[in-house]
Amino acid sequence: MSKVIDPEMLGDMRRFGDLDVSACFSCGTCTAICPLADNDATFPRRIIRLAQVGLKDELLSSKELWTCYHCGLCSDSCPQDADPGEFMAAARRYAVASYDRTGLARILYTRPAIGSVLAVVIAAFFAVFLYSGRGPQNTEEMEFFTFIPDNMIHWTGIAVMVLMAVAGVAGVVTMVRGVARRDGVTFTSLVSGRTALTRTGAALWSALGVESLGQTRYRRDCKDDEPVEPLYRRRWLIHAMAIWGFLGLMVATGLDWGLALIGVKETGTAIPIWYPSRLIGTIAGLMLIYGVMWFMINRATKYNRAASISTGSDWLLLILLMITGVSGFVIEAALYMPNPPSWGYWMFLFHVAIALELMLLLPFTKFAHAIYRPVALFFYSLAGKKVLQDA
Amino acid sequence: MTEERRIGVYICHCGGNISDYVDVAAVREALKDEPGVVVAETTMFACSDGTQHDMINDIRGQGLDGLVVASCSPKLHQITFRGVSKRADINPYAYTQVNIREQDSWAHGDDPEGATAKAIGLVRAGIAKSRNSSDLVPLVVETTSATMVVGAGIAGLRAAIGLADVGLHVYLVEREPTLGGWVATFGAMFPNDQDGRQQIAHLTEEVAKRPAITVFTNAELVGKSGSFGNYVAEVRINGEPSETIRATVGSIVIATGFDTYEPEAGEFGYGIEGVVTLPEFKAMVDASDGTLTHGGKPVRTIAYIYCVGSRQPAGGNEYCSKYCCAASCHASLEVGKIDPSIHQYHLNRDIRTYGKYELLYTQSREQGSVYMRYPDDTPPTVELTEKGQLTVTTIDALTQSEELAIPADLVVLVTGMVPRANEGLTGLLKLPVGDDGFYNEIHPKLRPVETVVDGVMIAGACQAPKTASESVGSGLAAVAQSAAILKKGVAELDPLVAVVNDAACTGCGECLKGCPYDAIDQTMCDGRTVALIIPSVCKGCGGCVPLCSEDAIDLLGYTDVQMRAMIDSLVEVAVS
Repeated sequence: MSKVIDPEMLGDMRRFGDLDVSACFSCGTCTAICPLADNDATFPRRIIRLAQVGLKDELLSSKELWTCYHCGLCSDSCPQDADPGEFMAAARRYAVASYDRTGLARILYTRPAIGSVLAVVIAAFFAVFLYSGRGPQNTEEMEFFTFIPDNMIHWTGIAVMVLMAVAGVAGVVTMVRGVARRDGVTFTSLVSGRTALTRTGAALWSALGVESLGQTRYRRDCKDDEPVEPLYRRRWLIHAMAIWGFLGLMVATGLDWGLALIGVKETGTAIPIWYPSRLIGTIAGLMLIYGVMWFMINRATKYNRAASISTGSDWLLLILLMITGVSGFVIEAALYMPNPPSWGYWMFLFHVAIALELMLLLPFTKFAHAIYRPVALFFYSLAGKKVLQDA
Repeated sequence: MTEERRIGVYICHCGGNISDYVDVAAVREALKDEPGVVVAETTMFACSDGTQHDMINDIRGQGLDGLVVASCSPKLHQITFRGVSKRADINPYAYTQVNIREQDSWAHGDDPEGATAKAIGLVRAGIAKSRNSSDLVPLVVETTSATMVVGAGIAGLRAAIGLADVGLHVYLVEREPTLGGWVATFGAMFPNDQDGRQQIAHLTEEVAKRPAITVFTNAELVGKSGSFGNYVAEVRINGEPSETIRATVGSIVIATGFDTYEPEAGEFGYGIEGVVTLPEFKAMVDASDGTLTHGGKPVRTIAYIYCVGSRQPAGGNEYCSKYCCAASCHASLEVGKIDPSIHQYHLNRDIRTYGKYELLYTQSREQGSVYMRYPDDTPPTVELTEKGQLTVTTIDALTQSEELAIPADLVVLVTGMVPRANEGLTGLLKLPVGDDGFYNEIHPKLRPVETVVDGVMIAGACQAPKTASESVGSGLAAVAQSAAILKKGVAELDPLVAVVNDAACTGCGECLKGCPYDAIDQTMCDGRTVALIIPSVCKGCGGCVPLCSEDAIDLLGYTDVQMRAMIDSLVEVAVS
């Protein structure tokens, strides 16, 4: 069965990055040099070829897109200066925009001006909305949830999460359908029988545990940072810090909520630093800020291959993360001050508005890779375990 | 006479091509005492510089007057060793080449003893031929310093200008009403984007400036008589009424060009609306007014299918048409100038933009053209879908042989060159035609524009597929070769021609009918009609010799005496 090509695809992809693969003559040096393209993998070469000829569905259902961490080794060794690394990055941006049916991701990636306005408008909307339900500012003691009722935050948060989940799941479903069809993976082949279940479990562990949490191949295999950077700014570490920081903050929030539920403490009150939620939150916040700070420095100075091209979406994610992290610490500082300052309340409102925006935009920004990459890694691991032969 | 001859015999190993099957030492041993043999040697490679040098030394040192080399086919090295004889100042026609490779060692690899015996016989016969040779001197004919150029395409026009500039008169004969051929129909051409029409206009201007060039349009070469150096060409100028003129010329340059391959109905979808040949496409692009449309609709996607009518399986056009890859790459660049957003897919078997044209290929890729190689055994297919969409289906090796369907607005069949149907001219001049239908030169490297018909040269794409610049190059080579034979005023011809013994000739006229070259006439000699062979026309084919019932014709270099001596030598072997 022949596959109909889309002649417009490559032109469209060009809007997502500085890619010029017309020079590529498919020599395969990129694949040969890529430390992640193991066994009979053929990326980046074959992915570039798919784009050249316009095989859109094939490209969008290529799990290989997401195995790459853009170390740039391929671009350095490309005899045609076709920059395969940047191509892969642009292809991921294009994929995020293509999995998203709303068109928002496409705007954030390709229309920085409109994207910036949208970002401000959304933040302002949340801020105004929260402000409209505000209560008094207690000047005796810091009472954030008197100023902005915790119910309001709670239910707005739930609503935002549902929106995010719907958009995210829709995108993941689009992606999974494509990848599964292309790889010949069916639901039955994942769960029927003990062997299949073991294999599926192992692939899940590999994708979520070993790769996403452990950053194993990024750390071990990616021939990054040549000459070797000092540990504190190695790319895998910065990336891991941002991930661990973000996840740590989620854990801390959950713990804080849990402690409030069992009546140990009220949410939003000053507690000793050694409380697990406070301790984890503080460390995780510092880690997040640390990672994001380096990302920003790298992008601002075009420090390496991966940071040399930045879209509006890349910056939007970093800025939102940074604001969330820093404003969180400002709030914490306000919490421990003897006389609750008025700016503490305003900072709290700002913090919540930005955090809500961050959550809402997750499936539409660079942040989306946090959901698509583990899915792709799951399929990649599965393929490595020869699931295709059994399916 | 035979006792006085001093002959050198060299038996070649040809590496092992001969000596693996023929015992060359035994051949030497058997023949070293033949009458007239003074030197008998075996040699690893007779054609090597060192051995040639040794032969010359032997000829001079031993006072040899005849040479026999037993090696490969005369087609390969007869000229080589005639040259050796010439350099050693002995008559080159006392040289005999004996073929013990193609006709012996290669043919009888299963029977070394038999092959050796055969070699002994063949070489002995060769020695007999040299022993009975007589001194021959080249024929000298006076030549006319005028040339006829047939075909006024870019090669013919440029050749005509060149010929005029070396001081020869030129008759330029063109069948069409206007000059310029294919190139006159082209706009920008590779490699430097110069307009074909303008280049032809420039050439015709230059032709007009030269009084030495006489141009005939609507004209065809319809008759040729006379002989090399003094051909009488008959040109019919078509019209009402048509008129025939005669011109005497020393040489003729054939530059009749090519035809473009016409695909069969259904071949790669030819016949479907939107499927065009490369020349048709070129005309569309050249005529563009800033947009590219077909059938009233803008063209957004173009699929080129390469090698249509070229590189076909055995029985078809097996050759590569050579110009079409570069022409298509160039056309895609022209399309890019019209509208860079037009998508272009080039379905090829491999891209042969050889030499500097490689840059066109690179530019075309950089401009966004996508090149896809299809497998030789699975060429693309072209069809109209149910929705009326022109679609090309092909396999792309680089996406791991995915089968792709390309929805295209225009499919360009990159058609190659085919020989022009010119039976009349071919028959008239007895031009040698290759299996591919193009005219053949004598030697592809060393005599690239001469044909076996003395004084008749070929230039341009009538010889083989060529680019415009290669056509002009061969046109100018024909100029140089014409000048080389005509500017001296006289020409030397091989003396291997038939001669008539007037005393024996009865004037029966049988030989006249048998001569394929019209080289035999009749004349009066002592009051009798006898045959007269015109040496400058005779090709030395020997066809007339057996026709003569009176044995009155002999072929110089292959005389009856020589032939009988050779047969006797061979018989001797069979008996022993």
